Amino acid sequence: MFDCVDPKSLEGLTWLACYLTTGKHMAFYASFATVLFLLALTAPLAMLFGFGGALASRSAVLPLRLFGKGYIAMVRGIPDIVFFLFMPIAIDQLLETVRHKLLCPDVVEPIRRGNDFVVCTAAKLPLGAADQWVHELYGFLLASLSFAIVFGAFAGNTLYGAMQAVPRAQLETASAYGMTQRQIFWRILMPQMWVYALPGLSNLWQILIKATPLLFLLGVEDIVYWARELGGAKTSAFSYPHPDWRLYYFLFLLIFYLMLTQLSERVFGWLIRKTDHGALSAHAARAGS
Amino acid sequence: MTQAVIELQQIEKSFGTLSVLKGVSITAHKGEVISLIGSSGSGKSTLLRCANLLEWAEGGNILIEGDAVRWKETSSGRKPADAAQLISIRTNLSMVFQQFNLWSHMTILQNVTEAPVSVLGRDRKEVEAEALNWLDKVGIVDKADNYPSQLSGGQQQRAAIARALAMQPRALLFDEPTSALDPELEQEVVKVIKQLAAEGRTMILVTHDMALARDVSDRVVFLHQGLIEEEGEPAELFANPKSERLRQFLSATATS
Repeated sequence: MFDCVDPKSLEGLTWLACYLTTGKHMAFYASFATVLFLLALTAPLAMLFGFGGALASRSAVLPLRLFGKGYIAMVRGIPDIVFFLFMPIAIDQLLETVRHKLLCPDVVEPIRRGNDFVVCTAAKLPLGAADQWVHELYGFLLASLSFAIVFGAFAGNTLYGAMQAVPRAQLETASAYGMTQRQIFWRILMPQMWVYALPGLSNLWQILIKATPLLFLLGVEDIVYWARELGGAKTSAFSYPHPDWRLYYFLFLLIFYLMLTQLSERVFGWLIRKTDHGALSAHAARAGS
Repeated sequence: MTQAVIELQQIEKSFGTLSVLKGVSITAHKGEVISLIGSSGSGKSTLLRCANLLEWAEGGNILIEGDAVRWKETSSGRKPADAAQLISIRTNLSMVFQQFNLWSHMTILQNVTEAPVSVLGRDRKEVEAEALNWLDKVGIVDKADNYPSQLSGGQQQRAAIARALAMQPRALLFDEPTSALDPELEQEVVKVIKQLAAEGRTMILVTHDMALARDVSDRVVFLHQGLIEEEGEPAELFANPKSERLRQFLSATATS
């Protein structure tokens, strides 16, 4: 390894190597993992919420149907950024309120005092004494949950539309052969729905990737935050002074996002081919004829 | 007289204010082939769909092998009361549709084995072996591993017939099985239907193909505006139509 003890005396490649391996740069590299981890956590969770929303929207039970439709319509109608700012705080306060009621039943003062939100010490999340990483993880999980709720609504809308798009005749034939509603759902509707859902879900996934910089708004230090932080001009007061390099940092992010997009396109392309079997084009041709 | 497989008694059905069936009775005995003819909107397809409870008749009785469908009154009309009976009837009467309706996400073989395995709960290996025989019988065993979209219309309809046969049903219901096909593809399906009729299968056939109705039927029923206008043996009915409406209908189909 290079000896990076005295950065001022370094030159050329050695300087660069030392510069790129500073603690802050390591945090920058780790934030790529944060973004990927957020995607890995949010996508399945959003699909889960999406399925919940879509199934509720199709339910024969009126309150459930209203809940499903309400969820999808509300989240879609409200600007994302409002939701991203609102959800983590709302979820945090909800959890703390519940804990406050359970853990500190003796406290008589109201939780809301003017603009302040005050719960007893035992109800705080995470607890004041918790390690820094617990705070960060908690914030990250709140952020993921908010992402999942917002994207779940969009996924729910896509899935609902896809379920409606499966030709009625396909389902009717199944009931003509004695299948129960449950069998029709699992054996016919679900496998056929993907053909209609995947293009929309692919779009949504791309939007989710591009929305990850919003993490910064939620207090999670993501790749865009670090690129801006590290790329900015550094005076000689810093160990590694350099002019404004943000362009290079952002170009690096651009490559990262493009590669992620490219990879996703391939995966979705494969999935669409795998689920289609020429059915979509066949239905389209029939509808057009 | 042999046993009655399907008895429809005084079936009534309307869609909104439109009365489609106004009290129609037909009985298909074991081994009998009945053709339902009539112009579009005469109610022949609806009658067929009432038989396997895809549509719920508002009036009249349906008996399958002597077992009467049990109904319950609900706020939205009459519904079958017994879910097990409903499924039993549908598995005993296999339907072949005008647009084939093969399940597009399954191969031809899977289409044929799906209901026997998932509905009748039969052993998959056994059903698969039988399915290949049915596909061989309709002449498309080489397409077993293809998806429906890769087949011609005639091949798809023959696959749909194999799917119906694999249920080992008491009767086959054909809803205009050749209407969506080009003339040259129609013949390959007609051949299969004739073969099934010759085997003595019980069938009800809704069709616009008068030659097919004449060739395969034991009895032809002419429906007009939701009522039976005339019925009889095909030779007699086609040669000497008694009602003016049937005469008009036959001359119109002959010239088209």
